[in-house]
Order: sequence, then C-alpha cells, then structure tokens
Amino acid sequence: MIPFFFGNSSSPLYGVYHPSEKGQADLGVVLCAPFGQEYMRSHRAMRQLASMLARAGIPVLRFDYYGTGDSAGEISESDTDRWIEDTHVAIEELKDTGNVDTVCVVGLRLGALVASYACLTRKDVEHLVLWDPVISGEAYLEELRNEIKNQISVRRTNFESSDGTLHFNGFAANENFQKSLKELDLLNTYPSSPSNVLQIVSNVNDNMSSLKQSWSSNDGYNFKHIQTSGDWNFVDSNGGILLPQPIIQAIVNQFISREAA
Amino acid sequence: MRERVLRIGKPQPLTAIASVPKDNVSKDMAVIIVNSGVMHHIGTCRMSVRIARELANKGYLALRFDFSGIGDSVPRSGTMSFTESAASEIKEVIDYLQKKKGITRFTLMGLCSGADAIYESALLDERIDALCQIDPYCYRTTRWKINHWGSRLFDPKHWVRFMKYRLGMMHRESAGEYNEEDFELPTYVRDFPPRDEISAGLNKLFSRNLKLQALFTGEKPQLYNYEKQFEDSMPDVDFKDLFTTSYLPKCSHILSEPDQQLVVLDKISAWMEAKESSVEAADINCSGERLAVA
Repeated sequence: MIPFFFGNSSSPLYGVYHPSEKGQADLGVVLCAPFGQEYMRSHRAMRQLASMLARAGIPVLRFDYYGTGDSAGEISESDTDRWIEDTHVAIEELKDTGNVDTVCVVGLRLGALVASYACLTRKDVEHLVLWDPVISGEAYLEELRNEIKNQISVRRTNFESSDGTLHFNGFAANENFQKSLKELDLLNTYPSSPSNVLQIVSNVNDNMSSLKQSWSSNDGYNFKHIQTSGDWNFVDSNGGILLPQPIIQAIVNQFISREAA
Repeated sequence: MRERVLRIGKPQPLTAIASVPKDNVSKDMAVIIVNSGVMHHIGTCRMSVRIARELANKGYLALRFDFSGIGDSVPRSGTMSFTESAASEIKEVIDYLQKKKGITRFTLMGLCSGADAIYESALLDERIDALCQIDPYCYRTTRWKINHWGSRLFDPKHWVRFMKYRLGMMHRESAGEYNEEDFELPTYVRDFPPRDEISAGLNKLFSRNLKLQALFTGEKPQLYNYEKQFEDSMPDVDFKDLFTTSYLPKCSHILSEPDQQLVVLDKISAWMEAKESSVEAADINCSGERLAVA
C-alpha cells in the first residue's frame, strides 16, 4: 500500500497504489469512490477490495477526486466533469505505475456513474464494474432531496440552502456541482467501449431494475445480485462504516476468473 | 501551503499527510491530528483536512495520520490494546518529527476515541504541551441534574412520553434496532475512567503548564448540558489559566452541521493563535530576563 500525490502539481490528487503481490500483471484496476458520507462509509471496503485484488496479483489504484478526501481543493470548486477528468488521470497513472496496458474500473455508487462516463471515450478499459450504481444525476439528487424531506430530526445537517446548495450528512453539493451531475444518465448511455460491463447490486430496487432492463440487450453486459444489508447513504452518530464482504469477494472473484481465463 | 505524504516507521509504516506552511517555517511546534474510531485520517466530514490546511495557512506544520490498521496504514502484528498501540504510535510520530524536523513541542487534536488517545499520550510524553479534545471524557454535576430534570419537570411532552413508556406503549431504542445495518463499529469500547483518575491526570498535565481546549458537542445532553460542566465536575483540579472550553449544543458528534463546522474551525484556530502568541510572549520575556541578568 503506497500512498502518494499525483496529477497536476498545482492541484494534486491523492491516491493509494496497491502493487501486485504476484509479480508483473497484464491489467490493473482503478477504484472510483462515491460522494460525501458514502465515501467515508466505504473507505474501508475500498481498501479491502484493493488489498484482496493486489494479493491476487492485480495492481490497484484508489484515489480521491479533486475537492474530496486528501486531494487538493474544496468540493465547492469541483464538479463531475472534473471528477471524470480525474478518473482519466488516475487510469493513466495506474498504467504508468503498474506498467499495464489494460485497465479495469470499479465504481461504487456515484463513482460508478463517473466511471461509466470516463469509459465512454477510452479504448483501454477492458472491464467496468458498477457496484450499487447511481443510475443518473437526477435520480441521485432526488434521493438526497427525499432524504432531506423525510429527516426532520437532522434538519440542521440535511437541508437545501437559499443558494441552492444541498447539504447532506456533513458534505455539500452546490448548484454548479448539481448542474454537472444532472448531465449524467446511464439509462440513456451505455459505455460500450469496455468489452465487459458488470452491474453488481446489494439490493434490487426500481433503479437497479431499470438499469438492468435498459442495458440487458448489450453484448458483454452482466447483472449480479448479492443480497447484503445496509444503506450506503446513511450515517450514524459514530461514523460507522459498511463492509459488505460477499460483494467484495464477488468482485475479486470476477477478476480472478478473468486472470485464470 | 503544500501537502506531502509521509510514511513513518518500518516495516509497516504509518501513513501521514503533512500540511506544510508556504514559507516552510513552522516555528518549533507541530500539530498532530489523530483518528476518531475507524474514520480514516481525513476526519469526520473531512474536518481534519480543513483544520490541518487552515493551521498550515497560519504557519503551523499540521500532520494527520492513521493508526496502524486504520485508514491507509497497514495493520501491525502484536498484542497491544488500542490504548497502548495508539500511545506508542503517537510517540513514534513525535519522535519522527523531532528527529527529522527538529520540532520540540507538539499540539495534539482528537475527537472521541482520538480525544482519549491524545490524553493518555500527554500523560506519558512531556513534549506534548497542548491538547485539543472534542467530546472528551465528561462527568455529571448537580447543575447538570437541575438542567436535565428541571426542563423535563414542566414539559408536558415528557410526561406523555413517560406515561406511554410506563404503559408499555413505547419501547426504548436499543442497539439491537440497528442490527439490520452491516456496521463495523469501532472495536474500541469507550469506558469513562473514574473521575478522580482524570482529575489527578489533569493536575499532572496542568502542573507542567499544558494547555487544554475541550469542545463539547450537543450530541449527548444526557452526559453534558452546559458550558462549565467540565470545570464544575473537577473541583479538585487547578485549571490555572490553561483551560479553554466551549459547549456547542447545536453541533453533532460527527460535526455534520455546516455552520457548526465553521464554529469548530474558528474556535480551534483562535485557540491556536492565542496559545502560540502567549508562548512567543513568554519566550521574549525569558530572553529579556536573560539579558537583564547578563
């Protein structure tokens, strides 16, 4: 596990590189994190996924988008266009650092939406894994607004301010961020460049079914449901985390079987 | 301000991010921010990043790091409890900064379990001359009881709830209700030590002029409900002028309210400026005395 800064030196991104523990590999994996408290809640799961893949011989880079985690900047200066660009930078970084030509991208929640758009314009991404994906920016914002409406007891934390900024569980999405997010919609966009696209979900809800239905006719698309409990978009008073082991193991198995083949 | 990744210790290094002031001069003092529970080094709601960057912009070297096994630090083998390993790893970071940067004074910051860890370290290490604790150990007082029960006595809603509870119409919320969530809660079990033990510890720390800032959030009014409760609960402690406290009733334990995040940031920043200017003033006085003697 090697933490480092990379990218533009005036606005560096923070990443953690997990080198292959089985010598030189022919592909690497980039992990794309979710937004806000979901990022906090999933950090351990992403680290574990990265460690397990590295042990299986696959180098991994996980990173923080601009304005998040340890990367430079503030979320108020960022938007999803920038995050998609950051994902490109991370992919290039992994290709150089891991000495691999082919890359797979795993995105969780909002990270899945960002990863899908990054893959639209690339020819070097072989495999895309969308883990409990946010299916569109509109759907995500609606989810946050519904939570805000229904959570009266935490209205000092979760609210929409007069300038249109959505405050949710200690993080904020301003109007500019929301505007860029609204442009993203997987129901009308299929990332056809990767030869394999896996949608892996912990809970089959309406959104997950809609995406499955929309994409099922595409070659290379697969859907997997592994029931695990817990809601990413939730926070308790201790900052508890979510570690859905069966899904992490299933994603690792996906890559191990690819390597074996 | 610029930031660097530090890897401290071998063979399983601790991961730290140093926020370095622009002029690269940080006097002789550094700030170290520790984990709270299993949250990694960016801190709850990214507050450790914001605090570190704010302090670095004011000229202080600020470092946030992960204890082994948490965040981006690999686990270390051994049989130490969290309390023991945390103290050992804080010492390791202090030793590193002293050796590599020549820093001799350290201000430690921590929330909840982090507040407990830095307190234990301060008892062991005299290089730590200031602590900023958010939601540290606290103890009830007579005034707490008056505030707590007094407000309920004349509140009809409380009596309705009480009667419903007695009639079996309401259930107490229990930890079991959260079993549906796949949580991995911190393995650190937070037991408050006996009050006398903390009282003795504080007297020890204040006798060597350690400065202490304690911020109490409003998360648990059943434990803390007014500004001076901490001082009132420690009548045997000589706080001198070394203690600063604030009660933030509108602030949650994980600091998720945007306005309260700014309040916390301001309070910490103001305390840092005040304590460091007093250190500088004391240094100037000492130099003056020395000159006079010479």
